[in-house]
Amino acid sequence: MSYKIPMGPYHPALEEPYKLDMICEGETVTDAQLHIGFNFRGIEHLAETRNYFQVIALMERVCGICSFIHTLTLCQAMEQLTGLTPPPRAQYIRVIMAELERLHSHVLWAGIAAKLMGFKTMFMTCFEIREKVMDILQAISGNRVNYSMNRIGGVNRDVEDPAAILKMVEALEKEMAHTIIPIFTTSTTARSRCAGIGVLTHQKAISCGVVGPTARASGVPQDLRRDAPYAAYKEMAFDVPVQPDGDVRARLLVRALEIMESCKILRQAIAKLPPGEFHVPEGKFSFVTGTAGSRVEAPRGEVMYSVSWKENARNPSRVHVRTPTYVNMPAVRWMVRGARLADTPLIQASIDPCYSCTDR
Amino acid sequence: MTMLETIREKLGVAGPWVEQRGVHWLDCTGVNVRTLAAAMNACGARFITITAYELPADTGFRMEYHWDLGGQLLGFALPLESKSIDSIYDLCEAADWIEREIHEEYTLDFAGRVYEPLLLREGNTPGVNLRETGASGKPASGLVGKQEVAR
Repeated sequence: MSYKIPMGPYHPALEEPYKLDMICEGETVTDAQLHIGFNFRGIEHLAETRNYFQVIALMERVCGICSFIHTLTLCQAMEQLTGLTPPPRAQYIRVIMAELERLHSHVLWAGIAAKLMGFKTMFMTCFEIREKVMDILQAISGNRVNYSMNRIGGVNRDVEDPAAILKMVEALEKEMAHTIIPIFTTSTTARSRCAGIGVLTHQKAISCGVVGPTARASGVPQDLRRDAPYAAYKEMAFDVPVQPDGDVRARLLVRALEIMESCKILRQAIAKLPPGEFHVPEGKFSFVTGTAGSRVEAPRGEVMYSVSWKENARNPSRVHVRTPTYVNMPAVRWMVRGARLADTPLIQASIDPCYSCTDR
Repeated sequence: MTMLETIREKLGVAGPWVEQRGVHWLDCTGVNVRTLAAAMNACGARFITITAYELPADTGFRMEYHWDLGGQLLGFALPLESKSIDSIYDLCEAADWIEREIHEEYTLDFAGRVYEPLLLREGNTPGVNLRETGASGKPASGLVGKQEVAR
């Protein structure tokens, strides 16, 4: 006999509201349906009522974790429509901010995953590390969540103390290499909760079009920082971690290795940070009529903005946002099929879902 | 012959690819979207999204389909005079949610597919269009600002 068990929209395992209706035979999930939209804000439509300055502040609110990434993607699109090119220092600062955001996102996720595994001490350790990253973000931007860093043609603030970032990177690398990665990879609890659980096969990952760590953990080697470099990523040497197994453990490993790669990128960006201006000089600029596309590798995967403008218009005529969770989430249906009911909170969390982004 | 030229040939499009503002565009007027999706599948491209634009003065819609091919962002613009276009969901699983979202926001029909319960809002009235509410500057009920909040 089948039972339908709802998880959400409000549930201890969910960080944000959405609903997963699971069809179960005993303890085994045979199918699932997903329902989103509980936080739908109509931001794409609101954007049509905002000017080029206001729309940056609006799109920063699409997501509370990768707020920098959203404004970066939007500003890159608007720069293509205005013909403004940010100076080299701005491009490097964008890389630094993007990688700091990836670090805090991945460490946050590791903490939440640890909590869902029943690993409360690890949760606290991860959040302690995350605080150090947040402190650096605050030192650079003055803010902890919405950084207000991006503008058309550059960034709003300089990185004044690169040495502080290096110090944090060293501490983080040490903690990751000596504590977090060994515990996640060797602990019996972590292994039993993650290995072979919530598998997304390589074939299914391709057919669902999943992105980011979710794709890379199913053996799909895609990363826009390498495949379609933006900002100053062309100048950075780094590896793209890929795992073939497609289970929760693979997703965990990919993110852990990505933290190490982000530290590597940060070191390079700081070492090579060019002198000069961090935004184009103040002055008049204008938009041309047309559509621009921009993509960025966010912590959860590819973000794409399609921005349309009409010459002399005050507001954009269309801003379409495709967030990573929007494509990763439907794959959860395939991940939970055949899984034990008790594993489903961790499985859905393993894609690092963001419903703020998805509902936008 | 490059992969892009192979795609153009397969679709029977005479015009060239145009790289503009981050996107490689191919004008696909007259090409069926299912033929396009099949061609994209054949070359191993990854579906990204669909963007629907409502054209001014009720002249229809423009649909923009995006795929990624080895890091290149491909864009295909398809004009839409009626409010219906073929669904590619059966050819491209990743298009499911965005087709449902566009259906709900613009009442466009993606022919040949069944819609599951609404993605974004409760109720069975697709086309309670947010843009209309935004355009008039008034909330849906007709009340203004503080009255609406108080209510």
